[in-house]
Amino acid sequence: MTKVVIMNEEIIASLVRVTTPEQRRLANKVMEEALERANFSFDEITYVVATGYGRINVAFADKQVTEISCHARGVASLIPTVRTIIDIGGQDCKGIKLSAGKVVNFVMNDKCAAGTGRFLEITARALGVKLEEIGKLSLTSRKPVEISSTCTVFAEQEVVTKLAEGIPLSDILAGLHQAIASRILTMVSRVRIEREVVVTGGGAKNVGLVRALESRLGFPVLIPPDPLLTGAIGAALLGRDAAEKAQKEGLPLAKRQRRLEEVELFA
Amino acid sequence: MAEQKWPEKYPIIGRGERKYGTVAAMKIPSIVKADISRIAEAKKQGKPIAYCFIQSNYDEIIRAMDIVPMWTENFAGICAAKRDAQRFLEKAESLGFSRSLCTYATCGIGFDAWREELGQMPPDAPWGGQVRPDVMLSSGQIICDPRYRWYQACQQFQPDVPVYHLDALWPLYENDVDRHEVEGYYVKYLTEDLRGLVKFLEEHLYKKMDWDRLWEIIRLADKTTDLLVECRELRSAVPTPMDTGDAMNTMVAQCFMMGTQEAYEFFRDLRDELKYKVDHKLGIVPEEKYRLIWAGGLPSWFALTDFNYFWSKGAVFPVESTYNELAYSVRELDLPKTSDPLEYMAWRWIRRQTYWWDKARKRPGSEPDVERTINYIEQYKIDGIVVHEAFSCRSWHVGLLWMLNQIAKICRPIPVLTVKGGQKMKTYRELPSLVLESDIVDISSYSEADTRAKIDAFIETLEAVKSQRAEI
Repeated sequence: MTKVVIMNEEIIASLVRVTTPEQRRLANKVMEEALERANFSFDEITYVVATGYGRINVAFADKQVTEISCHARGVASLIPTVRTIIDIGGQDCKGIKLSAGKVVNFVMNDKCAAGTGRFLEITARALGVKLEEIGKLSLTSRKPVEISSTCTVFAEQEVVTKLAEGIPLSDILAGLHQAIASRILTMVSRVRIEREVVVTGGGAKNVGLVRALESRLGFPVLIPPDPLLTGAIGAALLGRDAAEKAQKEGLPLAKRQRRLEEVELFA
Repeated sequence: MAEQKWPEKYPIIGRGERKYGTVAAMKIPSIVKADISRIAEAKKQGKPIAYCFIQSNYDEIIRAMDIVPMWTENFAGICAAKRDAQRFLEKAESLGFSRSLCTYATCGIGFDAWREELGQMPPDAPWGGQVRPDVMLSSGQIICDPRYRWYQACQQFQPDVPVYHLDALWPLYENDVDRHEVEGYYVKYLTEDLRGLVKFLEEHLYKKMDWDRLWEIIRLADKTTDLLVECRELRSAVPTPMDTGDAMNTMVAQCFMMGTQEAYEFFRDLRDELKYKVDHKLGIVPEEKYRLIWAGGLPSWFALTDFNYFWSKGAVFPVESTYNELAYSVRELDLPKTSDPLEYMAWRWIRRQTYWWDKARKRPGSEPDVERTINYIEQYKIDGIVVHEAFSCRSWHVGLLWMLNQIAKICRPIPVLTVKGGQKMKTYRELPSLVLESDIVDISSYSEADTRAKIDAFIETLEAVKSQRAEI
């Protein structure tokens, strides 16, 4: 997903769009749409921070910051008591440990689809269920089935086999959510999980996954109002921080020569 | 520093981010290349060739008997560094060896299988290839089963090449056991094991051990290690004159040349260079911002440029655990007197392997690897820890996360202010750590973009920690 947040004291406009291969090149289009929604011209934007995997493709950004720092800044602004962030995105999963709102440790799974949103996306498709429905459906399970495969490809085969065996869909889905929660928490434990735990990313919108995480943790987790936007909010806040710092110190704000146009990608 | 005039004696000879690297380290690729050619030439002249593993405690024996070592782990590393290992890994896989086995071993096994199948070197073999040995000297120690099984596996393709297996054991750490009570047994066993090795080499290669020469080479290796230790100590300077990126090159002289005059001269020159750079405050990067420790794991030999990436962020590694396991001066080891060079080598081995045992017992929760890392963190003024989990190297991989957890529990050097009940309190926090995940040889496990994204996030974490510390 490609997200944009424009803010001053508060959020003025925000936008979430699906990232297609074409959109890697066309981050400017999403920005233009957000500017239109905010009723601003690009020149009126004081500072632009780009984050996420595609941050290097944002030619009009003044600064690139990793999603780790941006998530931390964004979540800490919304929930100041946060100590651990679990970000479950479509491509990767991250655990971030904070102290006084600042990152002190992190861990990422960027190699394997198991433990990310992709795992649920692929298996939901194999089961013929809409992604946004699987969380609720899983909560109706009476006897969650155990999914033993930790590999997404093999798990896909396993769930199809279980469906053929006549196991109820809700039990398979509950088993899937437990499997993914287990993988996520095994990884995030490396940073030593402490309360409050905040879950962000697309995974936070899946109530089945959130319950599975809570059940394993043994305590409730917190979800920000719009869990897909926390990284973008953090990026905007870091941009505002930079502008305020420059103003306070009476120094010019270090900006790049911005171009709000599509980027040329080299193979 | 960029504007600072660098001396003619130690000019800027590197490229890009690595331009302030040591002159000594820059010489290593040509040294290795020349060594591989020399081994091929020795083979042509009919000199005995032995497959060898590094840090096996037999270097001086081989040198004293004029046996030419072919360091098989080094060759796999060369294949990886040249990004030409995949075809050998695939060859081994086609023979039924799992992808998850040690990729040093599967690269070597694949290469040997191919060479024996062709009756000549595989096409375009890296730097001329790995020559057929006359003997294979395995040494599993306690920690690495591939080093025991690898040469056995190679015997499938070269059954006429005999293998000698040196155990090279040492007592495992127990915090309630005094190592001194048991080390004598190990020394006795290892001495006889080494005697068996000498006998094996004499019988199979028709060579006679010259015991006086062995003593001379032992003394030379000890003097070389003293220089190596001196180099490591000099690196504790701020800014550091050399880091792990260079050390992963200079390990060649330490691990593959020990017991030779060339190794001695190499470390003498490196020591002189480092001393000069320390005296003149010439660092490895123009502005040193973060000091890191490479606290374990072998590097990805195909991605050593990741160190350049750290440097581009002002992050340096003044010290590393890897390849420093045995680098202790004999002056520190309090070795018992003996006229038997093999017994001397056994004592030296056991005392080096157990160097941190006594110190670890004094710190609750510590163990030798943990203790060594904590000592380095303090001595080298370290800001963060980096480890590499190479998926195919179980020996290192298994203990790394446990070690990081223990260090986090008992080593909390960062002062921070926290607010509790409205009161400001000074507390201490652990160092941030970064776990890189890839492999030593198998490039298919590696993503440059993901690795660098992790490094970027780690640098931002270091900066955040630094700013919090600065607020005190």
